[in-house]
Amino acid sequence: MTTFSGFRFDGRHAEAVPVIVHIDEGELIVKTADGTVDGTLLDRDRLDRVVVSEPFDRAPRLVWLPGGAALEVPDTNRSFAQQLRRSGVELSLAVRLQQRWPAVIVALAVIVAMLGLFYFKGLPATARWLAFSLPPRLEARMGEQVLGVLDKHYMRRSSVDIERRTRLANRFALAAAATAPGVRYRLEFRAAGNDGINAMALPGGIILVLDGLVRFAGDEDAVLGVLGHELGHVVNKHSVRQVLQSVGVGTVASLLWGDFSGVAASVPVVLGMLSYSREFEREADEFAIAFLRSQHVSARPLYDFFVKVRRWQSRLEDGQVPDFLATHPSTDERLDRLRREIR
Amino acid sequence: MFTGRGSEYFRIWVVNLLLTLLTLGLYSAWAKVRKATYFRHNTWLDGHVFDYHGNPVAILRGRLVAVVLLTGYTWAFQFSNAAGLLTVATLCAAGPWLFMRAQQFSLANTSFRGLRFGFRAQAGEAYWTVLPVLALWFAPVVGGAFVSVETWVYWTPTFASVLAWPWMHHRLKAYQRRNAVYGDRDFTFTPATLRFYGVYAKGFAFVVLGAILAAVTIGAVFAWWHRSGALLISSRIETWIYGALAVLAFYVVAWPYLAARLQHVVWSRTRLCDIHFRSEIKARPLLRIVLKNVGLSILSGGVYWPWATMALARYRIECIRIESGVPLSTLAASLAAQPVTAAGEGAADAFGFDIGL
Repeated sequence: MTTFSGFRFDGRHAEAVPVIVHIDEGELIVKTADGTVDGTLLDRDRLDRVVVSEPFDRAPRLVWLPGGAALEVPDTNRSFAQQLRRSGVELSLAVRLQQRWPAVIVALAVIVAMLGLFYFKGLPATARWLAFSLPPRLEARMGEQVLGVLDKHYMRRSSVDIERRTRLANRFALAAAATAPGVRYRLEFRAAGNDGINAMALPGGIILVLDGLVRFAGDEDAVLGVLGHELGHVVNKHSVRQVLQSVGVGTVASLLWGDFSGVAASVPVVLGMLSYSREFEREADEFAIAFLRSQHVSARPLYDFFVKVRRWQSRLEDGQVPDFLATHPSTDERLDRLRREIR
Repeated sequence: MFTGRGSEYFRIWVVNLLLTLLTLGLYSAWAKVRKATYFRHNTWLDGHVFDYHGNPVAILRGRLVAVVLLTGYTWAFQFSNAAGLLTVATLCAAGPWLFMRAQQFSLANTSFRGLRFGFRAQAGEAYWTVLPVLALWFAPVVGGAFVSVETWVYWTPTFASVLAWPWMHHRLKAYQRRNAVYGDRDFTFTPATLRFYGVYAKGFAFVVLGAILAAVTIGAVFAWWHRSGALLISSRIETWIYGALAVLAFYVVAWPYLAARLQHVVWSRTRLCDIHFRSEIKARPLLRIVLKNVGLSILSGGVYWPWATMALARYRIECIRIESGVPLSTLAASLAAQPVTAAGEGAADAFGFDIGL
């Protein structure tokens, strides 16, 4: 009969008692190793009543006995593990998987596939569903909060003359009624920085236009086109979807490389990186084209404006690159689409 | 001695990950127990290993609480100031208790030679210790919600909490150590607030030096990049890159120094009866390990992570020395610790607390 030497702790004292362990007919038998032939019997427990720790390459096996005592059995040559297996002690599925490299490689492949599926399909679909089922009041509140922060720290009142603003707002309202009936929106004119050229869509349908954009564009049709693009973001709830997607990415990343501690760290970082995906921009562009079409306005002024902005971009200061053009490697592609529309 | 190895931990990590993803995160509690067990069973002292007894269901419960609190904290200020204040108030009210319970859960579920560690948890002391820390921590957040960034009302609390940080850190460490228990013996801790300030001051000097160096380098690179006419790099992405690099630089340069020196201070002041502890951890080898970990993790797309974790744990654990006149086995022991719930353990995990063993 194979015996194994180890230590026994009674759970009441720190003393380590050297013991001899063996398994006989489904029972675990522990005797003192005091040099006598047989030793004193300390424990005799049915194997299904003891708990054996998971096997690790260089760690001893720990056996928790029903009475509160524990055994520490060194098992460098795995003979104790073999004896346990022969006696019918099953390893959990997780342990059996992790003991086999091929299974681990397959598991890794499955993880990568699942993450890919999640990132490209599951996450956008979930974020879309969530964004459209979010109560409108909640979304409006988020928008107001963001606008409040922007107003407090970065924005001034618009100095574009009131007739021009009213004219733009009226033309925008007409086109919006035609292309996005029933969609809540609010147009806000502001000035920021050293005449920053920008327009953005906040949650809850707030569309923000900076004076710099109105002045730099000159042509009203071009401004209308940019506003149509932003309304496209509003209609498709891009801003909320983007926030939800970044939160999803952050959560999964922290599951991978940290415990939950990563959540706290990654969420703000990801939130700060809010820029629309290529897909969202394309959708907004398509909407802008339909928006202009509904008012029989040519897309040419918008195209010319985009080109003009691009030409000027290298000379613009930091932080002045407009959001609707920036962060995308596919600007050429987008300009091509507009050019096709003009023809 | 620490016998954990990357190749083995990698397999545990992958299987844990797979099961966690398949169960939509529920398995993460079991994964945590298996990881904690792996660490304990591979940590040797005097020929025996440590053991872990955490109950996954309790951890799962704790994690659910943590997710709710965290979601509240992240989103509340986005909705309204009232909701934000309510969350902060809840965190302040529950925080000390959760922190105490986290200590208790982690220690009471760790054993060595059949004896459990423990944590003397008294709500009064926990609140007295943790509340001032929480108040200083949240002051800038609350201030930022009500007044503009430029005013002194915002900057004073921020500045104060930065200045008080070593004091807060020391307060928490001292609280953790002096209430720790092994069997029926108490750990003691000799306060060392000034030493903490000294370490932080030197660490801060390193950060400033490093930041200046990094800023000059990155600035030069970007200036060159712009001149060469690379278009369409938005200012936002740039800010993000700057931010990420700064965090990385801090982690790589300052963290090893602070961790090494503070571990040294804390252990040399900790005592268990006649047992003294000594930490032989050095900033430079730690820096080398962190550099290698960060570099290889990035290059391998995160796959190196388990090896990184093992290398760091191994160095930190093997640097702790124990000096005792009496053999550990002669320590008489009291009976097992009382059962505790894990609500605090989960929450503390989410906010990144640990006892730094």
